[in-house]
Amino acid sequence: MHDKTVRRRRAVLLGLVVLSLLLLTAYFGESPNGRLHSVQRGFLTVVSPLQDGANKVLTPVRNLFGWVGDTLHAKSQRDELRKQLDILRREKTADEGEKRTYKELLALVHLNQLSLSQYHPVAATVISASPSIWYETVVIDEGEGAGIHANDPVVNAEGLVGRVATVASDGAVVDLLTDSSMAVSARIGMGAATGLIEPKVGEPNDLLLEYLPGNAPAVKGESVVSSGTVDPGHDSFFPPGILIGQVTSVNEEGAYRSVNVSPAVNLHNLSTVEVLTSGEGTRAFQVSHTATSLPAEQEQSTTGTTASEQLASTGAGG
Amino acid sequence: MMPSSSPLVLRVAAMGVVLVFVQIGVVSEIPIFGVKADLSPLLVAFVGLLGGCTLGALTGFAVGLMIDLMLFQTLGLTSLVFTLIGYWCGRLRELRDPQGALVPLIVGCVAAAASLVGYSLMEFMLGVNAPVSFELLRQILLGVLVDTVLALPMYALVRRVLIGALPEDRNRRRRRAYTTGGLSPLSKAR
Repeated sequence: MHDKTVRRRRAVLLGLVVLSLLLLTAYFGESPNGRLHSVQRGFLTVVSPLQDGANKVLTPVRNLFGWVGDTLHAKSQRDELRKQLDILRREKTADEGEKRTYKELLALVHLNQLSLSQYHPVAATVISASPSIWYETVVIDEGEGAGIHANDPVVNAEGLVGRVATVASDGAVVDLLTDSSMAVSARIGMGAATGLIEPKVGEPNDLLLEYLPGNAPAVKGESVVSSGTVDPGHDSFFPPGILIGQVTSVNEEGAYRSVNVSPAVNLHNLSTVEVLTSGEGTRAFQVSHTATSLPAEQEQSTTGTTASEQLASTGAGG
Repeated sequence: MMPSSSPLVLRVAAMGVVLVFVQIGVVSEIPIFGVKADLSPLLVAFVGLLGGCTLGALTGFAVGLMIDLMLFQTLGLTSLVFTLIGYWCGRLRELRDPQGALVPLIVGCVAAAASLVGYSLMEFMLGVNAPVSFELLRQILLGVLVDTVLALPMYALVRRVLIGALPEDRNRRRRRAYTTGGLSPLSKAR
């Protein structure tokens, strides 16, 4: 009797471990359109209404905790905002003139820029978030039914939030700016030099703007914005001019310099976001469609970066 | 020891589903000391501690699979880590049957550490392009600390939900007697 119990116990453990390893191997080896990914999308479609309902029920609890946290941080935030306001006032005056010049130059060189007018914003509610430090993702309650596609940029009133990673009919998974799979081409203020914004792993409040030229000007407190497409050969998913964050410190690294950036968006307290969907036929739709239709082998390179990121990495790529 | 009573399985299943929804809907969105608390390894550990290794392993697999499915994570990764945590906690009960007041605290701490470290190791083995930074270690340590603080209330909750459905373990009296000296020949000789 005892032997039978021991055998059964070991068999259950062995079975579950083998099953997990089989799932892991199969999932890791298949393309994003494979069977297991389809099962996940199907599961997301089924549970997203439930998640939506649970989210509505649990919102007061979340708000209560959020209110306590916000109150604790209110004083330091007020001081920080006052400093930012002073900086922004100075920047605004300087930007007026530069903006005019920029528009004229843009018209002259017929730069093939993506612009916000090409996008149709879709408002969505965040219904869940990943607890893992390895997956900085959230799930939203709108999906293909609302015209959302993979790789659509996601913003809120504070700035850039992330990018749609996977879409189901009634929901979508959004990779946040701090997810390890994210890379956004960006520039500091109205500067000409572009770099690549990437997350600092394990530091949810810090981003890194890398591959800036060594002589690129960078001052603490300056705004970092998405640069959009700067090279027609390397299109970006993200339209230009969306606020990403503020420069917190500058690192000197020889020929290149990198800049620590604090995200403008509070990624730990997202409730409503806006997905910038692109209508068919627009340049933004073509970029997104090209990236999603790439074969899996091309999309996953040996360094772990995806073709999608390479498309986004206009600064590093040229 | 696999408790075969269906009320126990139903209670564990219901608790698992509710906890996963609460975890990804609320707890994950409330940072404590800059980290997100993770109640799921605590649930798996305490189900194993109260219900035995088979129930613990099955709960770990199911909860892990549900999290991987709902959050579009690498399928099987969380299941594998949680299965081992549930099994280990069940074996701890079956071999040692610890009864101290701090046992849930220690088990919660070890389960959280095993979850975070195990998950990180698996991610590195799968080729995530990330350096082992001081910040990453800090996040893991803080995560373990926060989960340890939540271990006692979580254990009380799991115990309260399961207590009525837990079957009487016939071997338990014997184990307890041995660990307290009741059936030991030495104690009889006194």
